[in-house]
Amino acid sequence: MSLEEHPGAVDTSEPLLRAVDLTRHFSLGGLFGKDLLHAVDDFNLTIHEKEIVALVGESGSGKSTIARLLAKVYAPTRGEILYRGRPVKKLRSRKDLLWYRGEVAMVFQDPFSAFNPVFRVSHGVMRNLALHRPDVRRDQRRQEAERVFESVGLNAKMLRRFPYEMSGGERQRVGFAQALATAPKLILADEPVSMLDVSIRVGVLNMMASLRDREGVSLLYITHDIASARYVADRVIVMYAGHLVEEGPTDTVLRDPKHPYTQLLLSAVADPREKLEEIAGDTGEPPKVINPSEGCRFRSRCPYAIEKCSLITPRPGPIGPSQVACHVALAQAEGATDRVETAPITQR
Amino acid sequence: MPEPLLEVSELSVDYLTETADVRAVDQVSFTVEPGEFLGIVGESGCGKSTLLFGVAQLLSPPGEVAGGQVVFRGEDMVRLGPDDLRHMRWRDFSMVMQSAMNALNPMKSIGAQFKDTLEAHGSMSIEKIRRRSAEALEMVGIDPVHLGSYPHQLSGGMRQRAMIAMALLFTPQLVMMDEPTSALDVVAQRSLMSQIKDLQRSLGFAVIFVTHDMSVVSRYSDRVMVMYAGQIAEAARTEAIFARPLHPYTRGLMSAFPSVAGPRRELIGIPGAPPDLARPPSGCRFHPRCPEVMPQCLTREVPLYPLGDADVRCLLYEEQAKKAV
Repeated sequence: MSLEEHPGAVDTSEPLLRAVDLTRHFSLGGLFGKDLLHAVDDFNLTIHEKEIVALVGESGSGKSTIARLLAKVYAPTRGEILYRGRPVKKLRSRKDLLWYRGEVAMVFQDPFSAFNPVFRVSHGVMRNLALHRPDVRRDQRRQEAERVFESVGLNAKMLRRFPYEMSGGERQRVGFAQALATAPKLILADEPVSMLDVSIRVGVLNMMASLRDREGVSLLYITHDIASARYVADRVIVMYAGHLVEEGPTDTVLRDPKHPYTQLLLSAVADPREKLEEIAGDTGEPPKVINPSEGCRFRSRCPYAIEKCSLITPRPGPIGPSQVACHVALAQAEGATDRVETAPITQR
Repeated sequence: MPEPLLEVSELSVDYLTETADVRAVDQVSFTVEPGEFLGIVGESGCGKSTLLFGVAQLLSPPGEVAGGQVVFRGEDMVRLGPDDLRHMRWRDFSMVMQSAMNALNPMKSIGAQFKDTLEAHGSMSIEKIRRRSAEALEMVGIDPVHLGSYPHQLSGGMRQRAMIAMALLFTPQLVMMDEPTSALDVVAQRSLMSQIKDLQRSLGFAVIFVTHDMSVVSRYSDRVMVMYAGQIAEAARTEAIFARPLHPYTRGLMSAFPSVAGPRRELIGIPGAPPDLARPPSGCRFHPRCPEVMPQCLTREVPLYPLGDADVRCLLYEEQAKKAV
């Protein structure tokens, strides 16, 4: 298993999955409620083959909504999802949906509630094989189930177990085995390690990397833990209050974060091996985005906010290999080449 | 040498189940000095929360203290009756629970809950109650207008702060905290921790802080106690434990989480899973997962060896401990 930049993540003409201006609003306050919660706004995302993309954000940032949009649990309010160039919206027939759900599988956060307790863990795997794998003959299914179990680091004998007979880490691996049974190209993993004990998290992360390397699967790894994103992901997307704030190669984003929010997030990670300076009195909670006005959603917490930030919503723009949605950072990057009008950076 | 604030000796807690008695905390001893910050670290099911509940005398059936003493300011709390304990709670020691949403009463405003607490320990004028409640909220950085707010109107971080304000209403000498930050996001977690530490420095109370996250205690605690399967695996000063972890389990925990700085390298974690305490492994309880397991680990009960300032429960240090004596 390699932790270096993954060679498979090359730019081909059409990526595995592309989301364009993805937006999802929820109406609040019942049937006649007029308030709109903007869970995700104008979100762009590409996932290439054999790539682990980490989606990092705090609770309420909209990262789980994105997973559900991509899994077709929710329909987008606006915007489009293209899977291998095909608009996902147009997949309506049972056959098409079955195909898509086999190509894009999901793993859930809580391994303690994701399984039916009265069935053996083989049930979900076998069912996915029956539904999504016409290429596997009925008498070969058991063998394939065993192969899938072994590829997530479980013993094939464990197929006979019930969920209660397994530890949290083992159950989460069963979740991955179920997803893998459909022979997916992409696995959406929503906080797959956050409910697990510290000592077994790394094992599951390593297993995710081996799925990419050995099975050729791409993963969207949704997490609030930027350190684990750094450990396993090829590319990182940072979200704040429904917006993409920074996106780029893992090493670039973590070594030299451009968006003030990414910087804050990194400085907040406690690392016993590092002595960190104290951060200023930021009580640190992302806002609920209800009927938002124009402007950057991070501006009230941002130490570098300028007037423009409360007037115009920043759109992601290129800085080096990354995309950053910040007026100040973009102006600075531009200013490095030619001096454009930049408002003074006010330190509050 | 001043007397310790809290002296726990050989405390055991059992959960009585139909099939067997499960020993969740097995003869744990430790002391807390006045003004000290003690971090207790362990994975789920290691008995760390049960230990805290055992110390605070908050266990309810099927859990019960099976033996040992909890001497707080010279009195054994295990022997005290419910009335005596009620007089001490909040005033002399208080507790902050993991989930403030469940610990706060959803039907009452924050101010009303503060008032209940204050009135439980003698009568106070309305004016005085209001002043003290506002002071406590301001201390944790919440605007006193929120005394009129209900728990659901506050964010997760603010609820946790309100719980801490409540625990500090009487400025007790000991505050016990059961994972108060683990439901929060990193940024909120970090700012809450700094605030707890600031309050502790200025008010001088002692803290017992239970967490599953080594990195949380690293910067704030004076001493760290690592628990595994109901027992103390290692206890030492924070700098010492991070500079030179002795127990293989502690070492495993330290290298089990990725870092945001430094080179990216492959981590291994600890194989296997924590044991079921109804059927603890023979000998050393960590032996099935230990990378340095020796034949005698499977059969011999391992005592806690004192090594200078540290204590460690591992046969690797048997010789060294003998020489030291």
